[in-house]
Formats: sequence, structure tokens, C-alpha cells
Amino acid sequence: MLTKAMQLNLFLRSFLIQTGWNFAKYQNLGLCFTLYPFVKKLYAQDQESIPSVLERYLENFNTQPVMASFCIGALAKQEERLAGAKTLALYQQRLSEWNSMKRSLSITTASIGDRLFWGTLKPFTLLLALCIWLVQDINFFEVTLQENVTFWQVFGGALVAFFVFNAVALFVKWQGLSLSYFAENNGCFGLTKFDWNKTIFNAKKMGIIAAVVLLLWGVYYFVNDLQASLGLGFITRAVMVLFFVSISLMTRNLRIPNMYVYLIAAVMFAVACLF
Amino acid sequence: MTLLLLLCLLGALLELDTTYAFQLTFSRGIIAGPLLGLVSGDALTGLQVGVFTELLFIDVSPLGGTLPPSAAVCCAITLALCSLQIPAYAAFFVGVVGALVFAQVELAMRRARAGWIAQQEQKIRRNPNYLRHAVVEALSLSFMGNFVFILAVCLAVGLPLAKVMPLVPEKLQLAGKFSYMAVPWIGLATLLSTFRLKTR
Repeated sequence: MLTKAMQLNLFLRSFLIQTGWNFAKYQNLGLCFTLYPFVKKLYAQDQESIPSVLERYLENFNTQPVMASFCIGALAKQEERLAGAKTLALYQQRLSEWNSMKRSLSITTASIGDRLFWGTLKPFTLLLALCIWLVQDINFFEVTLQENVTFWQVFGGALVAFFVFNAVALFVKWQGLSLSYFAENNGCFGLTKFDWNKTIFNAKKMGIIAAVVLLLWGVYYFVNDLQASLGLGFITRAVMVLFFVSISLMTRNLRIPNMYVYLIAAVMFAVACLF
Repeated sequence: MTLLLLLCLLGALLELDTTYAFQLTFSRGIIAGPLLGLVSGDALTGLQVGVFTELLFIDVSPLGGTLPPSAAVCCAITLALCSLQIPAYAAFFVGVVGALVFAQVELAMRRARAGWIAQQEQKIRRNPNYLRHAVVEALSLSFMGNFVFILAVCLAVGLPLAKVMPLVPEKLQLAGKFSYMAVPWIGLATLLSTFRLKTR
């Protein structure tokens, strides 16, 4: 049933899995929309049953959008088994399996996806972009920015971050569909094909390397500035950097988001400068 | 004014990528900032605003019920205000507050959408082919909501601020610049600690 054309159809539709996201049933509309062509083809001989099948897909569903492909592939496979049930007892047993699989797989994939994509890959690609921009002499630490920069200087870092993130995300999304659909019964719906912990661990290691490069560039920048002049400007900047780095680390332990630190700092500086 | 409208439209479109469509990271600060900057004619300011936005919001992830402030909305508001000749450091402050308010509006919209979803479900039960209409309607409504919000903030705050800015005392402007320049350092300190090796 899962031909290359159908896989492509599901893959493209899965980009809209979060459309209509709501607090009542989360991604139910998106999941239903994604799997509709598969259901339509599967029940082509019994079109009257399609609304009742879609009813099940309109129930609660929530997971990480990239990793959702594992759920989509596995649900398609289970739907096939459900459609092939010969007796009512077998149908009810498979329906129960379908329900529990949908719930447990969505939780597992959400956990992996959040750690891999939001917790690791996003900050890693940000660091990568920052390193590229700084190497290209784009200094965004100053209020007055330099002039005469090329298109590639401005977009170089952004494009690398975009392609690295999406290369991983689209690969996982595409593979997830077929891996979960063709997985053996005891294959954890294709999830065991990847060593997620190792991938996250390696990405974090690369993140540390990128962070060290960024720090070294920062030291080089400051040493250069020190050679130029050990004036008031340099001392003010050094104090400011140390102050805000310490504040940020402190507020992180207190679980106060950065944006509030910035807003409070802006208001406090304004009050201090006025009086 | 045409440029402001264009930036609001592009910002609303990019914001869809955050949740409702694609999730191809077009809405990230480092992508949306330079893109909006290119449209406004100052790509480098766009890049700076984008980097600052992403660094500032990096510690809030969309996990569980948490809804992070939108980087695309923050960049769109900031650059739209910059197009009204408001300095980036002042526009960015409005952009961050705007993104925070937008997160609350978005939460309210998601709660309110439960009734709309129930109506759509009934129509889908009657005619499964209605699914496509429901998706198009959901995307259109979200886009309209984003556009109206960004435009409303730009008009309600941007226009008066553009008139007031030349009258703002220099000391106050210095404070704004100082807190603006603190943003990358606040963000970098958080970013480095996200790579602590906890697994394996």
C-alpha cells in the first residue's frame, strides 16, 4: 500500500500536521489531513466507512512535528491490519492495539524529537551560523554596524544553519515514514534503526567544539581591542560582558527566561540614567 | 507605509512556519531577520535583530504547554519600526514586548479554536473531502490573525514612538543602547550551557 507516490503524498501533507493546533485535541486536524489519502485508498471499496475511520484520527494526537512521520507510518500499517480483520473480535483487538500504539508512540517520538531538534540541533545550528558570521567579519556586537557587506556575508551563516537543520529534519521525516511502516512487529516501529542517544551526544559534542571556536574568537577580538587601546571603552565593555554573563547564568539557575532579564535590564538602565 | 505593510505581511507569513505550516525554520530569528532586513533594504540590521532575537529566546523551547515568544513576530515588528526611522535598540524593545504579548494572544486563540474545530469535525464527518477546506481555512485565519496583530502593534506603538524619539533625552537613549548591546552576551551565556553532556 505504501508506494513511493503514497509516501511522497504523506510526506508533503505531513508539513501541515500542526495546522489547526488547538488545546482540545492538539494536532488532530493535521493528522487526519495527512492520512486521508491513505485511508481513502485503503477503503476505496467501502467508502461509507471512511467517515467512521476518520473519526478515530480526529481524536487527540500530539507529538513533535518532524518525528510525527514515525507515527504516520506506523498508524498507516496498523490501519491496514485493522481493515484486514476478518472477525469482530479480531477487529476489536486490533482497534485496541491501534489506540494504545497511537498514544504511546506519540509520547516516545515527542520526547526524542524535542531533545534532538529543539534541545540540540537548533542551538547547534545557531552556534554554527554565529561562527560563520564572525569568521566572515560580521560583527553584530556593536551598535554601529559596518557598511559594504556582500550578500553572502549576510546570508552565509543563515543558509548553512537552514540547510544543516533541514537536511537532518527532512531525512528523519522521510525515513520515518517507511521505517515505521515496514518495521517488524518487535522493531519498535523503526525507532531502533537510529541510535538517538548517540546522535544527540555527538551533536552536543560538536556544539561544544563550535562553542570553543566562538569563545576563542571572542578572546581574539578582545585581545585585539586591548592592543588598540586599554581605555574606558574597553573596560566598560569588559565589565558589561562579565556582568551580563554572570546575571544570565544566575537567572538560568533560577529558571528566569533571558527575555525578562533583558526587559528588566532595559527598564533599570533607563531609570538609572534618568535619575 | 507600503514597506511597513509589506514587512507585516511577510512577518505574518513567516510566523505560520513556527507552528501551523512546514516548520522548515523560516521563522527562526537568524533566517527571518536577514530575510525581513533584505526586504526593508537593510539586511545587516535584519541580521543583527535576527541573531539577538534568537539568542534571547533560545532558552524557551516549545515543550509541553510552553509557547515561546515568536522570533518572526519580534523581527517583523522591530524591522517595521526601523522602517519608520526608529533606532534598532528602541524598536527591538517593542519587538520583544510585542512577541511576548503575541504568545498570550496565540494561547487564547488556541483555546478558542476548540469550538471552531468541533464545527469542522462535524463537516468532515458529513463530507471527508471537506478536510482540505478546513486546513485552508485554519491557515488563512492564522495568517490574518498574525497580520492584524503585527500591523496593530506597528501602528499603535510605532507611529507615536517615531514622533517621540527625537524628543527622548540622550541619557535615556544611551540606556537603550546599553541594554541592547547586552542581549548577545545574555544569550551566549545560556547557549553555551545547553551543550552540557548529560547522556551516554
